[in-house]
Amino acid sequence: MSVVEFEVAGKKYLVRTDLRYTKTDEWAKKEDNKVREGITDYAQKELKDIVGVELPEVGAEVKKGEAIGALESVKATADLYATVSGKVVEVNERLLEEPELLNKDPYGEGWIVVIEMSDPKEYDELLTPEAYIEKCKKGEH
Amino acid sequence: MGAEHKLLKTVLWDFQVKELNATMGEFGGWEVPMMYTGIMKEHMIVRTDCGIYDVSHMGRVRMTGPDVVPLLQKVFTKDISKTKEYWMSGPTLALNEYARVKDDEMPYKISDEEWLVVPNAPYREKMLKHFAKVAKENGFKVNIEDLTFKLGMIAVQGPKTVEVFEKIGAGWVDDLRTLQFRTNEEIAGQKVFLISRSGWTGEDGFEIWAEPKAMIEIYRALLKAGAKPVGIICRDTIRIEMGFVLGGHEYGEDPKEFPPANSLRYGLGAIDWSKRGFIGEDALRAYRREGVRWIRVGIRMRKRHARAIIRQGYKLYVEDQCVGWVTSGTYSPYLKTTVGQAYVDSRYAIFGDFIEVEIRGKRYEGKILDFPLVPGRPVVK
Repeated sequence: MSVVEFEVAGKKYLVRTDLRYTKTDEWAKKEDNKVREGITDYAQKELKDIVGVELPEVGAEVKKGEAIGALESVKATADLYATVSGKVVEVNERLLEEPELLNKDPYGEGWIVVIEMSDPKEYDELLTPEAYIEKCKKGEH
Repeated sequence: MGAEHKLLKTVLWDFQVKELNATMGEFGGWEVPMMYTGIMKEHMIVRTDCGIYDVSHMGRVRMTGPDVVPLLQKVFTKDISKTKEYWMSGPTLALNEYARVKDDEMPYKISDEEWLVVPNAPYREKMLKHFAKVAKENGFKVNIEDLTFKLGMIAVQGPKTVEVFEKIGAGWVDDLRTLQFRTNEEIAGQKVFLISRSGWTGEDGFEIWAEPKAMIEIYRALLKAGAKPVGIICRDTIRIEMGFVLGGHEYGEDPKEFPPANSLRYGLGAIDWSKRGFIGEDALRAYRREGVRWIRVGIRMRKRHARAIIRQGYKLYVEDQCVGWVTSGTYSPYLKTTVGQAYVDSRYAIFGDFIEVEIRGKRYEGKILDFPLVPGRPVVK
């Protein structure tokens, strides 16, 4: 696992090479038949201070690309999207009291949910780190 | 994004971007520093330390001539005839004929025939036109000069501010009383057009107007002495918990969107009911006689809902009745909870009672409180 730095419009961002990504700035980590997800360094830098989160319910059935939660930055609310379809088996409750973890450690302690996959092929459809960097440079959302 | 739309740059733009590495963004048609080290961090700097806001996007207007006082009396709701020389008058409102607010400003008196006003950035051009129109229609002999592009302006705010000024050999600023100002002074060896003991934070602090080169030197000296740069996003979070109002949120000219000026409960002596002849007076007195339908209140979310962020437009409920809407909201790192401002139907605006805010279909309780939501403020010297 390594960390790669890239630049967009004079600002620097980090990606991890062992993760997959979405166009909506989530990262996904395969853990057997489950996927752990969070938001990227690019996302947390764009949002700036995150002051609140809305987490999905454990047990909820979610579809890939569906809005399953929310991130409250000072200025706006951003939707959190499911990277894969399946069942939510774990949520990071620490974020309810310490949403700043999303800014401080987005790939580590700032993880948000764990989803048990209903269709493991969906993980392979996610963006590679290179494709994600391209997406950020192009400014797509 | 349209290619034609260009943002205005303040006279300190280069300094902000190249030397202070500010994260820039848009406000009121200007590109201004949004943030430097973090919004929550900067909010705490202002409440516990000393922060410097670059407010060069705000308007700086000088009015001279025999009829400045009649012009200001016509435009604003406050009786400024009582203002003394080298004092700011206290905040006041400029209304339209529907008694809605065009801008909230604070006139500065240098002499009977020389005053300064500071329009809010989004309304600078509108107010310049308004002042000129009112002067023309009434035959007022007034010369109006826009200094916004000639001078920079900073607001140095926080409990450690006087200490910082002492460190740069300007401890004399502590002689100023709140709302008092001086012109043609020197700070850190630089010429200062104006320094006032004022600000929009509720903390002790000073605002300085100076030519760009001098302003940058003063900025550098203040930073060396321990002041820290703070951006416009924390300017908003700070003013929300103080109960200060922002155009487009708590007030605006459209009568379909905003209640009349007395519903605002601006406070701070902004409206002098004893004064006659100001624009919007007829409508304002009519609303006063009728009684207000809405009043502006503070909301502080319950501890268990400390992170339930309320935002402009969110509806308020008592039981199943919609009784108002949120005008501004934020998480306050100082109060460690979410706070906001709202308009509530006057029949339901019971201070100390709880009210529900609807956030994405769910209800969360908050308390209706008067301002300020921060204890021990505003600091007045």
